[in-house]
Amino acid sequence: MSEFSRLLLVARTDFSYFFRTKWLMAVLISLSLSDMLVTALVMGRMISPEYFSFLVPGIVTVGLFTAATDTGRRIWLALREGVVQYYMTLPIRTSGLVVAYIISGGLGGVVYSSALLIIASFAVHPHNILNAILLLPFMFVLATGIAGLAAFFASISRRGEIYWVYAQALQVTLVTISTIFYSAQTISRYLPGPIATIADYNPLSLAATALRDSVFSGELLNATLLSNLLATSLPLAALGALAYWVILRTLRLRGKP
Amino acid sequence: MNRVLNLAAFNIRVLLGDPTWFILSWALFALQLAIYGSLISRLVGSNLPNYFFFYSIGLMIIVVFESAEDVGRHFVEHAHEGELPYFLSLPVSRSGFLVAQAIYGVVNTLVKVAPPLLAVLFIWGNLTVSGALFALGALFLLGLGITGTMVSLSFIAFKAVDIYMAVLAGLSALLIRFSTVFYPLAIMPNYYSPVSVLSPLTYGADLTRWVLGFDPKYLLNPVLAAVVVTAIAVSTLSLSARIVDKIIEGVKAA
Repeated sequence: MSEFSRLLLVARTDFSYFFRTKWLMAVLISLSLSDMLVTALVMGRMISPEYFSFLVPGIVTVGLFTAATDTGRRIWLALREGVVQYYMTLPIRTSGLVVAYIISGGLGGVVYSSALLIIASFAVHPHNILNAILLLPFMFVLATGIAGLAAFFASISRRGEIYWVYAQALQVTLVTISTIFYSAQTISRYLPGPIATIADYNPLSLAATALRDSVFSGELLNATLLSNLLATSLPLAALGALAYWVILRTLRLRGKP
Repeated sequence: MNRVLNLAAFNIRVLLGDPTWFILSWALFALQLAIYGSLISRLVGSNLPNYFFFYSIGLMIIVVFESAEDVGRHFVEHAHEGELPYFLSLPVSRSGFLVAQAIYGVVNTLVKVAPPLLAVLFIWGNLTVSGALFALGALFLLGLGITGTMVSLSFIAFKAVDIYMAVLAGLSALLIRFSTVFYPLAIMPNYYSPVSVLSPLTYGADLTRWVLGFDPKYLLNPVLAAVVVTAIAVSTLSLSARIVDKIIEGVKAA
């Protein structure tokens, strides 16, 4: 078996573990569906009927984010419970193990958000399904970036439950300072410039905007937007991969992180 | 009684020994209020006057809910990490053990929610001793009710932690989304409002808003809300006392 096949095998096992974790699926599905069918609907009545269509693509993006960050939980658990020692006895290089985890996180995010996108299309009519398919590779890269960020925080979490502090802070900060709930114009009109800039370049904002414009409004794919999405996601994936690789290498050399 | 207080004091010392969670909770509260709260309140505009204040109370309800959930999870973790048999071997009755858990929960909730509440009231120019005390009282009662529910549900975890986590997550999502935490009952579609009146958070949120002077035309009757919040606290705590008394023995560590 080649190194690449082993890498795919580890990624596939981790990916299937994600979907087999019943409580996690219950969390994700109940959150996403209630956000879409209750919160978005009621907020639409309170703000304007168009707000529902605006928010639904944002909720799909949040679903992708939540599914991809589970990579961090799995890495944290493996480090905490010593399962990582078993991983290192596998006939695969450290870098292969790292890449397998990041790919699995990306796959988890993109498969889960695709399922949400199908559900969302019953609530908001998609104007261009082909664009949704074309966006999938970009969503995969975004999911690997988020998985990388989660892997980074899992790798630097030295004590007890501190990983959950990072995970919660990351989620609330990235989702709040983004264009998931409000447009870029609203942010720049009422909040200071630096916050508007962060929101503009937040990869979650870029993904939500791509879904809104290209899938639900039927506009052409925006090359600048997609290149920004790649430019912001890939460094995050690289950062996470590097942090996890350093931890695994330290473990291999010293026997402890 | 002294033993119960000793046990509670031990748990509280552990809780206060790591302030990270409190600082995180306050910081995220401030961030969500300053960005999400201020922007959404502008989008809502005159459809619901003073939405910023409405939302800030809703956010406090979420803090109370999450800290009550913590107590349930803490209880289950004790069981599954093998600490429960040790606690049960102490010369403290089962009900005393539950009281110690409840005191821990109350302190956890008050430390997390009191500073944001006082800050919001101060910024809003609405800070009075009576208002703050009554609001804390309402939040405290709601916290007790949710804690009772979470501890009552812990018997599921004694069979399977995964199912407990799934029930908790599903229940949390539904209780929050279907309640008046982020939107008033008057704005909800007719097909959701009957579900909303089943959520204890609806009564806790509306009671706290009424105490703090929010326009009552968007809220439930405060007497009804106070009665329901008190009844839920008393009934779920009694239920959890029975559960702790009867099911807790022989729980195996994971």
